[in-house]
Amino acid sequence: MIKVNHLKKSFGKNEVLSDINEEIQKGEVVVVIGPSGSGKSTFLRCLNMLEKPSDGEIVFEGTSLTGLKEQELNQLRQKMGMVFQQFNLFPHKTALENVTIAPIKVKGVPEWEAQQDGTRILEQVGLADKVDAYPSSLSGGQQQRVAIARALAMNPDVMLFDEPTSALDPEMVGEVLKVMKDLANSGMTMVVVTHEMGFAKEVADRVIFMDGGYVVEQGVPEDIFTHPQHERTQDFLAKVL
Amino acid sequence: MTKSVKHFFLILIALVSCFLPTMTVSAEDGSALQRIQDEGVLTIGTSADFPPFEFYAVVDGERRAVGMDIFIAEKIADDLGVELEIQDIGFDSLLPALEARNVDMVIAGMTPTPERRKSVDFSEIYFKTFQNIMVKAEDQDVYSSIESLNGMRIGVQASSLQEQLASQIDNPELMTLTDLNDLLLALKTNRLDAVIMQGPNAEAHAANDEDLHTFVGGFEMDDDDQGSAIAFRKNEDSLVEAVNESLNEIEEQGLIEDYLAQAGEYMAVSEVNEDGEEVEDGFVSSYWEYFWDGTMLTLFISAVSVFIGMILGALLAFKRLSKNTFVRVVATAYVEFVRGTPMMIQVMFIYFASGIFFDLPALAAGIIAVSLNSGAYICEIVRSGLGSVNKGQEEAARSLGMSKKQSMRHIIFPQALKNIWPALGNEFITIIKESSIVSVIGVGELIFQTRVVRSISFQGILPLFVSMLIYFVLTFSLTKLLNYYEGKMSHD
Repeated sequence: MIKVNHLKKSFGKNEVLSDINEEIQKGEVVVVIGPSGSGKSTFLRCLNMLEKPSDGEIVFEGTSLTGLKEQELNQLRQKMGMVFQQFNLFPHKTALENVTIAPIKVKGVPEWEAQQDGTRILEQVGLADKVDAYPSSLSGGQQQRVAIARALAMNPDVMLFDEPTSALDPEMVGEVLKVMKDLANSGMTMVVVTHEMGFAKEVADRVIFMDGGYVVEQGVPEDIFTHPQHERTQDFLAKVL
Repeated sequence: MTKSVKHFFLILIALVSCFLPTMTVSAEDGSALQRIQDEGVLTIGTSADFPPFEFYAVVDGERRAVGMDIFIAEKIADDLGVELEIQDIGFDSLLPALEARNVDMVIAGMTPTPERRKSVDFSEIYFKTFQNIMVKAEDQDVYSSIESLNGMRIGVQASSLQEQLASQIDNPELMTLTDLNDLLLALKTNRLDAVIMQGPNAEAHAANDEDLHTFVGGFEMDDDDQGSAIAFRKNEDSLVEAVNESLNEIEEQGLIEDYLAQAGEYMAVSEVNEDGEEVEDGFVSSYWEYFWDGTMLTLFISAVSVFIGMILGALLAFKRLSKNTFVRVVATAYVEFVRGTPMMIQVMFIYFASGIFFDLPALAAGIIAVSLNSGAYICEIVRSGLGSVNKGQEEAARSLGMSKKQSMRHIIFPQALKNIWPALGNEFITIIKESSIVSVIGVGELIFQTRVVRSISFQGILPLFVSMLIYFVLTFSLTKLLNYYEGKMSHD
């Protein structure tokens, strides 16, 4: 579904990603772990071109994203939902409006239909009673669930999660992870950058360990967590587990 | 042509018009008279704070300019068979307005000095006059001749004959102001010892104010300097000849005396009732209409200007964020240029420069100038507003497939607008105060009306106080109103 060939990204002289090659299959749940500054968030943001790669190629469903025109890129981004660490909900819109604005404005879905869908998706993430609430009156966990619903409303083929629980109070992490687990069980293709090792162990089909702009090691969760091959992986896991 | 290119050209046109040199239109032949008769309107420029020559009075319940000069102009328009239109402009802006073709002729008790003759033509002298010295009544024994004024503080109107006459006093300490009423106020508040004024005008004031005393100055003057004449653009002989004919007629029939007497009647009181009796009223009840009209016009100018300014400002702000370097530079240059020059000059420039090409009414010129000015400031407000919106907002919008434009329109701009609401309100309040500058081109807003009331009521300070109060009530209640809506707009 997504193919990454020789991806490189530098900010000025600082090379953050050095030659990444990956392939993500349809229905696969891939969890990316690694120390801060390892480039895992940048990797994720390159997948939907929020960061423009310095070199290399991203191929999504057979189309190369690098070198696409803005308009075509906008089309393809609709199929790649993204969830941010800081939620980035639209503060001037209610929960339901947050969820419906893109379907209405981008896809041209009639308002009543978008609202019906939006209400259903908000129910699905457990926020049936918050449709008319503004983000400022919601807790962090509720805001992040609205953000997930917002991305799902576009009916994406893949969901990208950029440290979705890192900005949350500990007691709210569970509710967000539960929504993500349900999503994974429903067969959604997911790429998740996270520090939640429990989630990785339980849900991931594949775990990628990144450090210093490289993919150091990857494999099924049991292999990575119980028999890590690389010293750096062992170091990292010793600290976080 | 793409939209951004079109916007760019609009801005370019606005800019270029700011840099146009003052072009002199080529010499005219005998067509000036023909043109006026074709149009059916004779537009005169005057400065109606100068009784008995020109001033405001309520005639049959209606407020209009009257006075000797106005009656003469009416007679001339009659003789030419055209309508008369009066433009009331500050005295020192009259000749620029004439040269910029905003008016056809200037009749304002103006003396045809040699300096003025260099730039304009004059009719024959229609009124021989004399120059007076105005002092405080209590000083009438101290100052009674030119000699007694040596080294004293003397007030004269800017670019007037009196300014030149002041040189006949030894070592005068000169104060030069545009408005005669300000000079008289300065005299009464002990900032001046004497004011040099045209004779009939000085007598009118002294008769209406017991604190003032006037006497004939006895200045040495050329024949030319002793009278008033009508000013025309150079090379419009056909018009000058026609006007001279009317003036001759006026002289032969002794009409000047009639006109002066008529003006005197209007001058004695601000209002005459149906039986010709004076209506004695309090200050506010006599003049509230002037203040009301001025206030309405001030609000109108401010509201329209801020509205246009907001559209222009938003447009400029987007242009300043453009990827196209050229567009960006032009927009930036516009903003910097407008912010770096005084609004007063912008107002005068647009009014006078536009007059060279077409007949733009003063009110329209004023609104355009204030809008263009406000647009530059609002551009900076909008830019800071856009900058205040978290970068994550655009990323979220783009990741949902929104185009740059959609995310600007639905996500970024509404939030920016909320953030800049207080600053926009401040701009509106600033414009209410600063729009007073359009009074220099004769737009009858609050400051202009205040000037009018000062000239017809012979009161220096009270009108200022009333107008100050009105401005405060306007801005204060607006502040409260904006705070209320600001509270309603916040969800977070």
